[in-house]
Amino acid sequence: MTTPSAGTPVVSARDLVKTYQLGDFAVHALRGVSFDIMPGEFVAIMGPSGSGKSTLMNMIGALDTPTSGDLAINGVSIGTLDSDSLAELRNRTLGFVFQQFNLLARTTALDNVKLPLTYCRDPQKQAQANDRAAARLREVGLAERMDHVPSQLSGGQQQRVAIARALVNDPSLILADEPTGALDSETTVEIMNLFRRLTEQGMTVVLVTHEADVAGYARRLLRVRDGRLVEDRPIIGGAI
Amino acid sequence: MNVLEFLKTALVALRLNLMRSVLTTLGIIIGVGSVIVMSGIGSGASKQIEDQIASLGTNQLTIFPGAQNVGGRRGGFGSAPPMTEKDVRAIREGVQGVAAVAGNLQGNANLVAGNANWVSRVNGVTDEIEQVRDWPVAEGRFFTADDAAAGQKVAVIGSTVARELFGGADPLGSTIRMNNAPFTVIGVLETKGQAGGQDQDDIVMVPLSTARSRLVGRTNVPDIVGQILVKVEDGYNIDEVQADIEKVLRERRRVQPNAENNFMIRNFAEFLETRSAASRTLGLLLAATAAISLVVGGIGIMNIMLVSVTERTREIGLRMAIGARGGDIMGQFLTEAVLLCLVGGLIGLTLGVGVAFVLAAAFKWVVYISPWAALMAIGASAFVGVVFGFVPARRASQLNPIDALRYE
Repeated sequence: MTTPSAGTPVVSARDLVKTYQLGDFAVHALRGVSFDIMPGEFVAIMGPSGSGKSTLMNMIGALDTPTSGDLAINGVSIGTLDSDSLAELRNRTLGFVFQQFNLLARTTALDNVKLPLTYCRDPQKQAQANDRAAARLREVGLAERMDHVPSQLSGGQQQRVAIARALVNDPSLILADEPTGALDSETTVEIMNLFRRLTEQGMTVVLVTHEADVAGYARRLLRVRDGRLVEDRPIIGGAI
Repeated sequence: MNVLEFLKTALVALRLNLMRSVLTTLGIIIGVGSVIVMSGIGSGASKQIEDQIASLGTNQLTIFPGAQNVGGRRGGFGSAPPMTEKDVRAIREGVQGVAAVAGNLQGNANLVAGNANWVSRVNGVTDEIEQVRDWPVAEGRFFTADDAAAGQKVAVIGSTVARELFGGADPLGSTIRMNNAPFTVIGVLETKGQAGGQDQDDIVMVPLSTARSRLVGRTNVPDIVGQILVKVEDGYNIDEVQADIEKVLRERRRVQPNAENNFMIRNFAEFLETRSAASRTLGLLLAATAAISLVVGGIGIMNIMLVSVTERTREIGLRMAIGARGGDIMGQFLTEAVLLCLVGGLIGLTLGVGVAFVLAAAFKWVVYISPWAALMAIGASAFVGVVFGFVPARRASQLNPIDALRYE
């Protein structure tokens, strides 16, 4: 794995094409998408369902590989990697935040946050797993809740545990898929401010959402429609 | 992920569904448990028989007169000329590897001591019997060659006879009337226990010469010895010694070169071999039962693991998204299956041992659970876990993380 220099984009997409074969039909999910995301950016990806938004997100998350074109994360082209290398790439450079939190039930917040480190093949990081996880939980304001299991936490608290989990292995990119979809408006503000604070500290965040006011927390908007990038512009003053 | 992490994760997962885990592993528990019980009782029984045969003497040969063809007519058992002192001497002097030889003339006698009476086997024996049967006296002494030569009416009795005739009293020096002839008790034999359904301690031993004149009644063979018991010396092959004895006796008893022996030599080691062949068959049957029950248990494990993989599809997707490789997922589910089987095997083993000992206590059976059987049971259950956990674990490891994350 190469370490990104200042000039290397965290995500670099070039003529990205993804075609699924559904029986006799070819579904063109992406028809040639190109963009770069630089370190420290806060990008919102929007688009109606069926636009290719999810496909694009899966590829940025190194969960899927392109049919043609190229997608590089920290300069590493994912099209050339096998599934084990993709797993390692996700473990080391990506942090996922999901709409449904996806925390392990009946497992404490601390153990949930530690989970990515158990799959990390770095003995040093594994040895520090407890300290790292505890530090991340403090960062997201859950110092008092480390021993709580998900059912004892509110939705906002659960999503913060998930964010701490995404941060625990010092990723280059946080990928948040509708992170506020299951939260009320008050908690949404809380979580989006947390993402914003992280980007101000230098973290790169890619947010996938269909809600304009949520996307308004980001600094740049990528709009996808019919498998094409139709809009790529900065967001100024939170207005979409 | 290392083994410890796998174990921890598996334990958490199994505890989440404790009831289901227990029910799933019931097949293994019952399978292993029943095998342990059956093999415990089976090998207990055969061990008991082996011990009994060993107490009779595995290095011992018994020789008695057999059938004889007279003029084309085959006589019955014992129709051949009886064994005599001369045969004893011929074996003692003519055969290598004989530690001791004793004559043994058997009969039944009515025993009376005071008010008590008892019918028992009376054996007229030469003093070497003590060595041949490896059967020392517990109290008093054995009769000597001098006692025999002097025609002394002395007796050594087994513990059953001592109990029946004298109760708790000391029998040494007391008088027993055997078929109305008074005998003085000079020794009590050590207790030997049952063998082949016979109480070995229900016995009286008197000098052979005395037995001939007092107990067995007149015969036209003055030096008859009934049976000859031979103890083979340690380090000699019992079969070779048997062959040598056969040769000496054929010669002495003038058996024609191509004729059948007119005597029989019984070898307890052969008994033992027959027995162990029988217990091997039993063992094979048990192994088959074990295999079937473990397969049935294994199918149950596979079934529930498949359900578990489906239920936890999202969890698998999450683990993959945050960096679990296919091998990590595979290892996790395999560990769960093996742990489930191992725990089941251990519970089954414990239950089996418990039930076996309860049965042993209730029915006074001898139960023997060999460490090997216990180890096999545990090993086999772990193996079942690997075999039947493989398919579900592989299915889990091959899930597509995108679909798995979206699974409802």
